[in-house]
This record gives sequence, structure tokens and C-alpha cells, in this order.
Amino acid sequence: MITKRADNPFCFFTSSMLVEITGKKAHHLKEFVQILKTIDESSIFFHIHHAFREYSFASGEYSNDFARWVGEDLEEATLAERLAAINVADFTDIASLRAKLVEIIENHLMNAIEIRKAAPGREFYFLRSTGFVSPTPYEAWTLPEFAKDLNCVGMRSIYFHFFDARLRLGHHTNDFSNWIRDSLGEHEMADKIEKLDPYFMTMDQLKNKIISICLRGKKLGGYPAANRWKRIIKILLEKLK
Amino acid sequence: MKKPTLKDYAKIIRPQNFEEILILAEKLKGKSVKMVNSTAVGGGVAEMLHRVIPLFNDLGLNVTWEVIKGSGAFFNVTKAFHNALHGKNTTISKEMLKVYEQTNEENAKNMTFDEDIILIHDPQPAALISAKAKSNAKWAWRCHIDTSQPNQQVWDFLTQYIDKYDASIFSAPSFAKELPIPQYMIYPAIDPFAEKNRELSKQEVESVLSKFKIKTDKPIVTQVSRFDYLKDPIGVFETYQLVKKHYDCQFIYAGGTASDDPEGNQVLNELRDRAEGEKDFHILLLPPFSDFDINALQRASAIVLQKSLREGFGLTVTEALWKARPVIATAVGGIPLQVINNFTGILVHSVEGAAYQIRYLLNNPEVAKRLGEFGREHVREKFLLTRNIRNYLLLFLALAHPNENVIEI
Repeated sequence: MITKRADNPFCFFTSSMLVEITGKKAHHLKEFVQILKTIDESSIFFHIHHAFREYSFASGEYSNDFARWVGEDLEEATLAERLAAINVADFTDIASLRAKLVEIIENHLMNAIEIRKAAPGREFYFLRSTGFVSPTPYEAWTLPEFAKDLNCVGMRSIYFHFFDARLRLGHHTNDFSNWIRDSLGEHEMADKIEKLDPYFMTMDQLKNKIISICLRGKKLGGYPAANRWKRIIKILLEKLK
Repeated sequence: MKKPTLKDYAKIIRPQNFEEILILAEKLKGKSVKMVNSTAVGGGVAEMLHRVIPLFNDLGLNVTWEVIKGSGAFFNVTKAFHNALHGKNTTISKEMLKVYEQTNEENAKNMTFDEDIILIHDPQPAALISAKAKSNAKWAWRCHIDTSQPNQQVWDFLTQYIDKYDASIFSAPSFAKELPIPQYMIYPAIDPFAEKNRELSKQEVESVLSKFKIKTDKPIVTQVSRFDYLKDPIGVFETYQLVKKHYDCQFIYAGGTASDDPEGNQVLNELRDRAEGEKDFHILLLPPFSDFDINALQRASAIVLQKSLREGFGLTVTEALWKARPVIATAVGGIPLQVINNFTGILVHSVEGAAYQIRYLLNNPEVAKRLGEFGREHVREKFLLTRNIRNYLLLFLALAHPNENVIEI
């Protein structure tokens, strides 16, 4: 029964991000890999993931900043492809992701004929981010409520519960699956959501797939999202007065 | 024109982005912030402050703005600093440093810093940090300049002040240096409702062209910039000469001079000398607050050019992209963050490259149209004022939580 009431509600949080510049930059791959070995884990997380959390009106060629720099600024197409093809979903901690990146680049360097240097101003600048986590007005007790709320929350909320959670929880899951499994006892549904590959879809596509799984293919009813937005924004504006 | 309200912005940006602003603002309700810069008119910083401060106040914060006072000698020094930070070879004497320090000291004496947060913009008032000892505020320094290759003497001189701030903010990663304080990145932004960016009717655009006696019989290529060597006005003229050999078009170089820029007249006269007799190269000296005219000129243009040699962020590029104009610009400063080559515009590196790409787009209007449309969407998500406000709200929160990677609010 998808209308079953949960033991505990799912409270949607949202995350914001302020980008911090580390001051470290690489002119070429040798320098890049040396910095990569020691840079903060938060910097690696940022460069791998931030493109997913930013709304994009068109998908880019590369899924992460490392592949983009190697491809566009160093024009090392083979290495760029290998870096872009890393399946981030396979990793539940940054240490092993870092080790994989270093391994791929060092293998490439062993066979490299020349070390290409980025043009001035096109060096790789290592960034990291400060995260801000805050509750949203959305709280769901049933799957239809959850689906409606998911349709309304921002992509940063989905990012927080889906991408951030993997590393926060340290295993191959996310907050949505956790709640659906633990509070509603819907194990099969939770597994299905866990198996989604978020790295090859936009956040809107990911959101729609989760909603479809939760409603077992039924259409989302109730308020159109635009009306719910108007309501939420009105409440927030009144709070500010 | 009616002042835009927060609700007006909600109609333009994605609702999720607007909701985030409201959630963050609620956490900062009642916080007081003082912005300080060196000019009330002219230049991107003053423009941004004019627009952003009323919105912060509508969001429940208490934000004020003060402009430091200085003599002509002081602004000559800060102009030299500005050029030096952009990498221009400039000699700074001890006397010049003294003028800078004394002016800042005098301003500090006449100002109060009782707010929760003090946000100082650019190098001119950076030395006001000496007043930090007698204030409980958190101090942040906002650098709007391209400091990727600064004159080392000036940078070292300024870092003695910058190091004392609680945080710094740069417009692009390449502008930052290794500093002992956090360095945040906030892109500058434009206001879609400002007179410079609002939608205009065909009649409004035509009225401005008519005022400047510009006919519409030939496609227009426009650069909007101050009369400043760093904007390469002579390079724009040389580009015009190359294009004109192949395509009958007209160029407009339109701009003003800022009150803190004593070099402007010299640049203007040099450009006038070079372009003398060229009827299709229009040089327009615009007074401050010519936003409506600039808006119309950009909208009337087939292509917008930004041939800067150095650039802070390049807000005129953002403005043109927002108007869905195809932009051809040099890959300097913050321009490559806005112009993704062959996607949201075209990046060039020389007069020859600029001329070639202008000819290409003039001959391929469907490509130009697509670049313009993608450019507008890129700005909608990343470079509108609301994005800026969101980032400043995050900065204010970050200042209250030093050394925390994840802040629960």
C-alpha cells in the first residue's frame, strides 16, 4: 500500500554552497597529480560533484572538472575520456576515489611523450566549498506526500539527500531509500532507488524517476508544482515581514 | 519606473533559487552590514551596490553604504594601484603610499563601524581595516579586480592589510593568491530590472539610435566600455578597419569615465584622433546614468564586442548575454566564465581573431542567434543579481562560523 503512514516523517533539508578558492593551481599534469595527492578531500568532492548540483540548461561533455581541464585545456583526449568515465557511484569514500584518479593519471604519465602545459590563465585552480544545511518547509508521512514534496523541493535538496548522503552515510545508499526502507518497510522500492545511476541523468530526470518508483508508475496528482511554489514563497515572504 | 520587488525576481529565476534566498535571509534577519567603496557613480561596483542594497533591506537585513572621501592625488594613487594590480608596469613611490595611508586613516576617523559585518570593496578603502581593533564586526574584503598577474610591489603592500580581514572574496579562481584568510569566490552579477537591462520596446531602441544619429541600414557591432587602455579601444578601432574591408557594417564604442579614473580623457582623445574621418565608427561619450542608452545600443547591435586586454569580471559581457546578443570577447579575466567558446559566445585572443569572428557571425545569423539564446540562459542561472544576493547571504553566515566546512543553519 503506497498510502501507508510512516513511523517517522521524511524531513526535506536543502544544502547551499559557497565556493572557496584554495590558492593552489596546477600548470601541467605532473604538478596536478602532486596537488591531487594531498589536497583536502572536500576539494576532490567539489570538483567531482558540483556540476550535478548546478542547474544546467544543456549537458556538458565532461561530468567532472578534472576531465574537463585535461580535455579542453591540456587537449589530452584519451586521459580526459578515462577520467570522465570514472563511475563515481562505485566509491563511498573520497580516499578511494582519490587513489583511483591518481592511478589513472600516473599510468598516463608513464607513457606520455610530452607534458603539456596549460595556457596562462587556464591552469587548474583547486577549489573547495563550505556547505550550509538547512531544513525546508516540506515534511512527508506517506509516499504520495513524499512524491509531491520531492516534485517541489529544489535540486539542492535532492543533491543533499542523494549525492551528499552517499559519502555522509559511507555506503551505497541515500536518505530517500533509507527512509522508505526503515520507516515504510518498502525494501524493494528502496533498492530500486538505490540502483538508479544519477551520474547519467539530469537532476530533473532523477527526480522524476524517483517519483515514478514511489507512485509505482501512477501520475502525480494534487497541487500543480507551480501553485505549491506560490504558496511556499508567500509563507516565506510573510515570515520576513 | 516602479522599483522591482522580490516577487518580480521570483518570476524571472527558478523558484528553487528564490526559495533558497528567502530561507537564508530569514536566518540573517536584523543583521547589520556596512558596504564601503570609493565612488558612488561609474563602474560596475557602484552600479551593483545601487541595486543590491535595497533588496538586502527588503529581505530583512539592515545594509548601509558609505563612500570614502579622497583628493585628486588619492585617486591618482588608487588608479595607479588599479593598473598595477592588472599587471601594468607602474612605479609607486613612497609618497604615493603615504597619500593612500593618510586618506584611509582620515576616513577611518570619520566613520563608525558598529555593524555586525563590514564589507570593503576593492583596494581604495582596504586600509580601513586598521579600525577593526575598535570594532566587534566581522570584516571581509571584496576584490573586484583581475589580480591574476599583479605588480608585486603593490600586491605586497596591500596584503599587509588584506591579511587582517576575516575573509576575502574574489570574482574568479585565477584572481586569488595564497592568503592566510579564507578566499571565497562570488561571481559579480547584473540586475535584470535595472534600466540598463530591462526589456525595451522597438520604439525605445530606435529613439536612442536616432538621438545619436545612428542609422540602421548597416549591422551594428558595439563595445560598451570606459575609455580605458585596458579595454583596448584602439584594438576595437583596428578590428573595425579589418572587418570593414569585407563587410559593410558600423561600429559603436560607447562609454563614460568614472570619477576615480583621471586617465579617461586622454584615452578618449587618442581614440578620436585615430578614428577621425571614419563615419561608420561612432564614438559616444556617455554621461553617468546613461543606462537606458546603453541598454538600447546593446539591443540594437548585431554583435557585441568586448576586446579588453585585462578585465575584472566583465559585466558588460553579462549584460549583452542577458539580452541574447551574440558576444565576441577576449579570453581575459572573468570573460571565459561567461563566454563558453562556441556555446554561449566566441572567445578570441587578437584583433585579427575578433575581426574574423565578427565576419563569420555577420555572415551566419542563425549561428549568432543560437549563441545569443544560450548566453541568456547561462546568465539566468549564474550571473543575475539574485545569485549574487544568495552568495553574499552565505558569506555573511560563513563569517559567523569560521573554520567550519559544513554549517547547520
